[in-house]
Amino acid sequence: MAFVSSGYNPDKPMENRLSDLGPRKYDEFYPEVIKNNKGKWLYHEILEPGVLVHVSETGDEVFTVRAGGCRLMSTTHIREICEIAEKHCDGHVRFTTRNNIEFMVDAKEKVEPLKKDLESRKFNGGSMKFPVGGTGAGITNIVHTQGWIHCHTPATDASGPVKAAMDVLFDDFKSMRLPAHLRVSLACCLNMCGAVHCSDIAILGYHRKPPLLDHEYLDKMCEIPLAIAACPTAAIKPSKVDFKGKELKSVAVKDDRCMYCGNCYTMCPSMPLADTEGDGIVLMAGGKVSNRISIPKFSKVVVAFIPNEAPRWPKTTAIIKNMVEAYSNGANKYERLGEWAERIGWERFFEACELDFTHHLIDDFRDPAYLTWRQTSQFKFSK
Amino acid sequence: MAKHETPLLDQLETGPWPSFVSDLKQAAEERAKNEKGIEYQIPVDVAEDLLGVLELSYKHGRTHWKHGGIVGVFGYGGGVIGRYCDQPEMFPGVAHFHTIRVNHPSGKFYTTKFLRELCDLWDFRGSGITNMHGSTGDIVLLGTTTPQIEEFYWELSHNMGQDIGGSGSCLRTPSDCIGSARCEYACYDTHAICYGLTQEYQDELHRPAFPYKFKFKFDGCPNCCVASIARSDLSFIGTWKDDIKIDQEAVKAYVGGEFAPNAGAHAGRDWGAFDIQKEVVDLCPTKCMKYDGGKLSVNTPECTRCMHCINTMPRALRIGDDRGCSLLVGAKAPILDGAQMGSLLVPFVEVNPDNEYQAIKDVIEPLWDWWMEEGKNRERIGELIKRQGFRRMLEETGIEPVPQHVQEPRTNPYIFWKEEEVEGGWTRDIDKFRKDHLR
Amino acid sequence: MDQAEAAEKIIDALQKKQKIKSKFYFSDLAKILEMKPRAAKPFINKMVTDGQLEYWSSGSTSMYGLTGTGKQAAAEDED
Repeated sequence: MAFVSSGYNPDKPMENRLSDLGPRKYDEFYPEVIKNNKGKWLYHEILEPGVLVHVSETGDEVFTVRAGGCRLMSTTHIREICEIAEKHCDGHVRFTTRNNIEFMVDAKEKVEPLKKDLESRKFNGGSMKFPVGGTGAGITNIVHTQGWIHCHTPATDASGPVKAAMDVLFDDFKSMRLPAHLRVSLACCLNMCGAVHCSDIAILGYHRKPPLLDHEYLDKMCEIPLAIAACPTAAIKPSKVDFKGKELKSVAVKDDRCMYCGNCYTMCPSMPLADTEGDGIVLMAGGKVSNRISIPKFSKVVVAFIPNEAPRWPKTTAIIKNMVEAYSNGANKYERLGEWAERIGWERFFEACELDFTHHLIDDFRDPAYLTWRQTSQFKFSK
Repeated sequence: MAKHETPLLDQLETGPWPSFVSDLKQAAEERAKNEKGIEYQIPVDVAEDLLGVLELSYKHGRTHWKHGGIVGVFGYGGGVIGRYCDQPEMFPGVAHFHTIRVNHPSGKFYTTKFLRELCDLWDFRGSGITNMHGSTGDIVLLGTTTPQIEEFYWELSHNMGQDIGGSGSCLRTPSDCIGSARCEYACYDTHAICYGLTQEYQDELHRPAFPYKFKFKFDGCPNCCVASIARSDLSFIGTWKDDIKIDQEAVKAYVGGEFAPNAGAHAGRDWGAFDIQKEVVDLCPTKCMKYDGGKLSVNTPECTRCMHCINTMPRALRIGDDRGCSLLVGAKAPILDGAQMGSLLVPFVEVNPDNEYQAIKDVIEPLWDWWMEEGKNRERIGELIKRQGFRRMLEETGIEPVPQHVQEPRTNPYIFWKEEEVEGGWTRDIDKFRKDHLR
Repeated sequence: MDQAEAAEKIIDALQKKQKIKSKFYFSDLAKILEMKPRAAKPFINKMVTDGQLEYWSSGSTSMYGLTGTGKQAAAEDED
């Protein structure tokens, strides 16, 4: 493994440096049919799950085949995507906001061979490489964060629970039987670098224990004022501790103020947070971002805690599946999960989804809490 | 034979959904074979070690990564996230495993030429493992060592003409929906403005000077496919002012069952015959529609452009022609004081590439000036608005208050009047008062 | 204020605080220069390319420090 220089000279970092280039310009990547019809599209149709046609005022049509993708992807897999795109799509491909892969062709007869090709490709372990679907009133790909594959504060994995959940929800990826589309998202800790707080169903990793304190190393590894300043609830203060007869500078955490965000661990590696029993999953439901019919909504916590059950998170996926079925059976056409819950009342939602209601689900965090309590004599009795 | 046994992860190889475990395994194999004879600049068994450390996390129920403060290439304060494995001896291939964010092109359209070049570069100087794409939108390249970061950037910029993205207290890599490139609902060219403002604000993107992160997201219409209203500090949502264009013949075709409602999105279940009254007119949130004698009409001034009727009958109804976007400010995830949606600041603004989006920049820059001066460290702009008040934001941006700014007026009278708003000011003469009021 | 004067002011101020901490927010630096943030930025950018200041990032937020200072810098030294 000999070091190969790119031409960069570490002694003169500014020499010949290119900077502020930004991204490449979008239009150099457009397929011909997109280039020719941008801004001229008249309407679209979903021909079958995973296949769309957009029709232009010029008479041109673009057919899109949407395939599910793992956001975690190797260059081997990307090259296979390239190979497919070169074979069928003149070397063009795009990705969606929800980590799907879209292959576009300019004629209907090109759709079937493309679809067949995509559906025929399997990984050695047996799973599909490019399942076609994720359109219309169904469940599309789950957007997610890093989890245990690459993050320092996750309370759960991301790719694993997503794989497990999509296996359970797979029929709804491949079909369009739901009252409206249903968006599932996952964020592996409460910082939510994947903003899941407005999803129909959100899977959220959550810690339940304050950080450990490695007093012996804390002052050697960390700048204590930075660790203190990192805490959003001011739960950390400087402290002197007795360690094996020696007085050391360290910190103390006011445990009942800690919200388990891990920000201190980011600043200070001597304050690790992860814990096998403490960490697990919170489920939230009823959010949406679209302005269609009703205004956007936040997701609400409907299950306070489920332990991490690697590798397949069976309890989490079973509850999600149950919610999807209850929604599918109960909601009106066009009604999103949150709109359904509001129409029937959240007290009915818990019945319909067979979920327990516990004190954890009543908001007690700061100002917005009061607005979520019931300030009316109108309610439904439990059945 | 795999380097590490992964009995738990192996259970994620079955089932229909694409298995990232199988993908990592095939990548590990290909890297080990090295048929192309690549002079790998980081350990060859990086994918094996990544599977190994992930398996250990599955066993422990805990992460094995630590954060590092490494930030990027010389002169940039963002774009690279430092990561170290907390079991470097067990998994030397991923002991130093930093992430690089690459600024994706608008709309995430690619040529395979570009993707292949990027793959070649990442196999050579990194792990060959990616996220297509990260939550913010960037192409995320997972895992390389510190010495490779500058080398990677040099080749990315010199050979591919491509820059890295944002992280930390920067303008984060802006992202957009597919827009008018392939969507009839787009009220403006999301790709053009996303690219235009990304280029305009390169300094803000690479050199952190904000109190915290700041995100732009561009949604072409109120369907909000990139969720700008929920997750961007400045959300651009396409809208229009004039009439929804109606093709009455096409309406009849929907009523007659010739066209499937909602572009066929509900085809997986028999919902019965399409009922325009029940499914469109009655679901209109403002009840501004009428279907009478075979003719559909919309009372435009009462329409709030929720998109339901257009989504349901895309062949009959089209967005209006007087198009622009609404600007909403301050969305963020819950931490710390609870989640916030974007709040409407500018109901309508033109999106004009010919003057480089001046009307929009005239809103962005005063907002930044205010937040940079008044924002506390790690305070998102949405939190600053809550702390200092919506009125303050209006003053800072020179925007006049309009009823569109609120869902409803305030329910308390505790208005903090300014002295100049009250006749005669606050300085009064007690002696003069006492002439009429005895002690 | 010229670049040299700005750099001197910042270096002096940060050196005085090294015993307590080595990382500072952008706003701390702007305050040292007694400038509005946007006016201070070119001076601070220049100090970075001149090698006097370096960035540190938590991933979500960014800080500045005198080059090579701080406990984590030592811990992350890979040589």
